[in-house]
Amino acid sequence: MRRIVLRTAVRAGAIAGIAVCFVSIVGLLERLAELPIIATTITMGDVLILLPAAAASWVAASPRVIAGERRSPDLSTAAVAGLVTGVTGAAIVTGALAIVSWLGVETVRRVFIAVSPELIDILRFGQSAVVGTVILVASSAVVGLAFASLRITPPDVRRPVVGGLFAIVVAALLNRVIEPAFDQLNVEKDWLYAINHGLTWVGAIVVFVLVAGAVRLHLGSKLRAILRPEPSPAGVDDGPEGSGRRDPFAGPLGRRGVTLIAWAVIALLLAVLPFLVGTVVSRILGSVGIFLLLGLGLNIVVGYAGLLDLGYVAFFAVGAYFTAILTGGQRLTAAGYQPPAFGASLPFYVALPIVVAIAALIGVLIGAPVLRLRGDYLAIVTLGFGEIARVLFGSVWLQNLFGGALGMSKITTAEIPGIPLHFQSDARHFYYLVLAFCLLAIFVSWRLQWSRIGRAWNAMREDEQVADAMGISTTRYKLLAFAIGGAVGSLGGALFAVSLGSLTIASFKILVSITALAVIILGGLGSIPGVIVGALVLIGLPGLLTQFEDYRLLIYGAVLIAIMLLRPQGLVPNVRRSRELHEDERLQDQWAEHALETESVEAPLPTGGAIE
Amino acid sequence: MANDAVPASAGGSLGWLERLPVRRIILTVLTVVLVVVVGTGIVKTLTLSGTEHLDWSFWANLLVIGIALGAVYALIALGYTLVYGILRMINFAHGEVFMMGAFASFFFAAAYAQSGFLNTNPFAAMGVLFLTAILVSVGVAVLLERVAYRPLRNAPRLVPLITAIGASLFLQNTAQGMFGSQTRGYPRPEILEGTIKIGKVSFDKIDPVVIVTSIVVMVLLELFVKRTKTGKAMRAVAQDREIASLMGIDVDRVVVITFVIGGVLAGIAGVLYAMTFGQVGATMGFLPGIAAFTAAVLGGIGSIPGAALGGLILGVAESVGPYMLLSGLHVPSPFELKGVITFSILVLVLIFRPGGLLGTGEAEKV
Repeated sequence: MRRIVLRTAVRAGAIAGIAVCFVSIVGLLERLAELPIIATTITMGDVLILLPAAAASWVAASPRVIAGERRSPDLSTAAVAGLVTGVTGAAIVTGALAIVSWLGVETVRRVFIAVSPELIDILRFGQSAVVGTVILVASSAVVGLAFASLRITPPDVRRPVVGGLFAIVVAALLNRVIEPAFDQLNVEKDWLYAINHGLTWVGAIVVFVLVAGAVRLHLGSKLRAILRPEPSPAGVDDGPEGSGRRDPFAGPLGRRGVTLIAWAVIALLLAVLPFLVGTVVSRILGSVGIFLLLGLGLNIVVGYAGLLDLGYVAFFAVGAYFTAILTGGQRLTAAGYQPPAFGASLPFYVALPIVVAIAALIGVLIGAPVLRLRGDYLAIVTLGFGEIARVLFGSVWLQNLFGGALGMSKITTAEIPGIPLHFQSDARHFYYLVLAFCLLAIFVSWRLQWSRIGRAWNAMREDEQVADAMGISTTRYKLLAFAIGGAVGSLGGALFAVSLGSLTIASFKILVSITALAVIILGGLGSIPGVIVGALVLIGLPGLLTQFEDYRLLIYGAVLIAIMLLRPQGLVPNVRRSRELHEDERLQDQWAEHALETESVEAPLPTGGAIE
Repeated sequence: MANDAVPASAGGSLGWLERLPVRRIILTVLTVVLVVVVGTGIVKTLTLSGTEHLDWSFWANLLVIGIALGAVYALIALGYTLVYGILRMINFAHGEVFMMGAFASFFFAAAYAQSGFLNTNPFAAMGVLFLTAILVSVGVAVLLERVAYRPLRNAPRLVPLITAIGASLFLQNTAQGMFGSQTRGYPRPEILEGTIKIGKVSFDKIDPVVIVTSIVVMVLLELFVKRTKTGKAMRAVAQDREIASLMGIDVDRVVVITFVIGGVLAGIAGVLYAMTFGQVGATMGFLPGIAAFTAAVLGGIGSIPGAALGGLILGVAESVGPYMLLSGLHVPSPFELKGVITFSILVLVLIFRPGGLLGTGEAEKV
C-alpha cells in the first residue's frame, strides 16, 4: 500500500510541478499574480503556485482499490505522500528556475515571451534565490501535507473545508459584484473587503465559516430539493440527501409553499440584480445572457438530439445580421452610411419573428443534406457551415447586403413605446430584455425536454437505428432539432445586435461555436441548470476578471478536456444523460447501494428508474 | 415508452414533412444549382475577353502553387488518415501539432538567419529545422494521445471528439501564451529565394522543393506501412483492434507509433508550409488542418494514396478554383472565398461519396 501511494505521490508531484511551470510559461501566473485574495498577503499568484501541489497530494492520498477492496491510506502514509508530492513539485519548479537562470532570462525570453525577471521574482515569493527556494519547497510541502491529511478525513470534515477554501477564492474574485451590491443595500463592507479589493482576514474567516457550515448542513442539496417542483421519484435521484423517501419539508406551509417561496425569492433577486450590481456587471450579465441563449439552443441540438453542431455560430450570425437589415441598420462604407441592398425598417418586435423563422429555415436547409452523417463527420461538416457563413457575411461579394468587413451600424434600439427602458444605451435595462428572452428559452427547453419531441430526440440520441425501428421519424426530428436550436440561437444573435447597435464580422468567429459548446459541456449536456452554470462560470467569471481575458480560450480548452476526462456528465448533470455516460458504473453503484439498504423493502430496481 | 412507438405522423402537424422525400428534393436541387453555377462560372471565366482575359500562363502558375499547397495538405492529411484508420476518431488537434512543429523550428530558423548559417550551410540548417519541427510535433502528438485520447478510447464517440476540440483550442492558446500572438516572418535560405521561369510560366523556387519532399516522404511511408512488420501491425489494428490484440499485437504501442508517424509528417509539413508562406503564427494550424482533413475525406479516409490524391485535388481547387469559378461571374476578390470552396467540397464528398474517391465506402461510419 505504502509503496503504491508513494509512487503515485512522486508522479502527481511531478505533474504538479510541470503544471506550475506551464502556467508560468504561458504568462498566466504573472498576469494573475497581482490579484489579491486575502489582504495583500495572499494573492492569486500564490494560489496558482500552490494549487497544483494541493490537488496532486489530494490525488496521491485518495483511496485505492487493492485486491478488490477500497482502502484509504492511513495517516502516516498520507502525510508522507503529501510531503513527497509537495517537495517533488517544488523540486521541479526549482530545477526549471535553475535552468532559466543558467541560460539567462533574456535568452529564454527570446523563445518564451512570458519568462521575465518579474516572473522569476513571483516564483521566488519576492525573495533572493536561496530564501525563495526554501519558501517554495516549505510551502509546497506544508500544503501537500495538509491536503493529503485532509483527504483521509471523513467527508463531513473534508467537504466543508474544501468548500470553505474554494469560497474564499471565489468571494475575493467576485468583489466587483459583491461590493456594489453591499453599497446599494447600505451594508458596511469594510470588514469584508480590504481597500485594494482582497478579502480582509476577518472577511475570509467569516466566508469560510459560513460556507463550510452550509456545506456541512447539506444546504446545497436541500436547496436543490426545494427548487424541484415535484418530489422526485426515488429511482431518479442523484444524491443520497434529496431522495424522496422522506420529505423534510412537511412543515406548516407544505412542500409546495416552500418551493413557491424559494422561487419567489429567486425571481425578486433576478429582478433587482442590475440595480444591485451596477452598470459594468450588468453588461457582463448581458453577455452571459446572450451566451445562455446560445447554450440553450445548442443544448437542444447537442444535448437533446445528440447532433454535435460546431457551426452554431452561423445561427448567431444569421440572427444578428438579419436583425440588422430588417430593422433599418445601415452599411458603413467609405462614402458614409448606406442602406443595404435589401432591407426594411421594421420595429424590432415585428422583425424578430421573421428573423427567427429565417434561422429555423436555414437550420432545416443545412440540416437536410447532412441528415445521414453522424458523430464526428457531422461535427466537421457543420464546422464547415459555420465557416462558410462567416466568410459570406464578411465577403466583398455580399458587401451590398451585409456591409463586408466594416459591417453594419445603426441597428435598432428595440425600445418598447411607452416604456422608458433604453436597451442599447443602458446595460442595466438591456439585462431585462435578455432576461425575458432567456426565461422564454428556458421555458421552451424545459417543456421540450420530456415532451413527445424531447423523448423522440432522446431515443434518437441513444440509438438512431432503434429509434427508427420504433417508428420515430429520424429525418423529421433531426430537422426539427436543427430548426428549433437554430431559432433559439438566432435570438442570441438578435440581442447581440441590439446590445451593440453595430456589427462586424470579427464577432462571428468559429470560436463562438466552441465557447457555446464549452458552456454546455461544463454544466452537463442536456441539463438546463447546467447551461446556466456553464454560462455564468465561463462567460461571467472571465468578464469580471479582465486579467483572464487573454487566457479565456486556453481555459475553455482545458475545461473541455478536463470535463470529458473527469466528469463527462458535467457539473450539474441531467440525470438520464449521466446514466448514459456511466451506464455500467452507475448500475453497479446502485446495485451496491441497493444491497446495503436491504432494510428499505421497496428500493426500485436500478434499470427502471428514468422513465417518467 | 411503448406508446410512442406508434408513428406520430397521423396526428402530428408535421406529417406532411415526413411524406416528402425532403432529402432527395434538396439534394436534387443542390446538384442542379451546383452544376449550373460551376458550369456557367467556368465557361464565362474562360471566355472573358479584352483586359479581363486570363491567359494560360496565369492558370499554369496557379496550378503549380496549387500542387505545392496540395503536397503540404497531403502530408497533414496522412496524419488524420492514419489516426482515423486506427482509432476511428478525428484527431481535431492535428492542425495544432503541425503548428507547434513549425513554430518550434522558427526559433532556429531566425537564429540561423541572423548568424548567416542559413545561407552558408543551407542543407545542414534545413536539416536542423526539419529535425526540430519533427521532434516537437512528435512530442506534442504523443502527449496528446497519452493525456487526452488514451483514457477515452472506449468512451462514446462524441467524447474523444470533444476532448480533441478542447485540445486544439488549448494548444493554440498555449502557443499564443508562450510565443506571443503576432505572426512572425519565417526566413528562407537564399538558394530557395526567387522564382524559376520556364517559358511563360514562373513559380517560386520553393514550390518544386515542397513537391519533391512530399513525394519522397509519402513513398517512404507507403513502403513502411506495406513492407515492415510494424506497418503490418498497424494495418492489422486498423482492420480490427480486438482481434489484432488477440494475435499478440500491442495495440497501445501501435497507436503511439501511429501518432509518432503523424507527428513526423506534420513536422515536415510545418517547415514546408512556413517556408512557402514565409510566416508562422499560433493560429496557422486551423485552416490547413481543416483543409487537410477535407483532403483525407476526399481521398477516402484510411487510405494513404487517397490522402495524396485528396491533397492534390484540394490544393489545386483552392488555388485555381476561386478564379476559375468566380471571376467569370464578376464576383469581387474571389480568393477570399476559397474557404467556401474547401468546405463545399467537404460537404459534397460526404453527401455524394462518403467513402471518398479511393476509399472503401464505409457507409456505416458516415
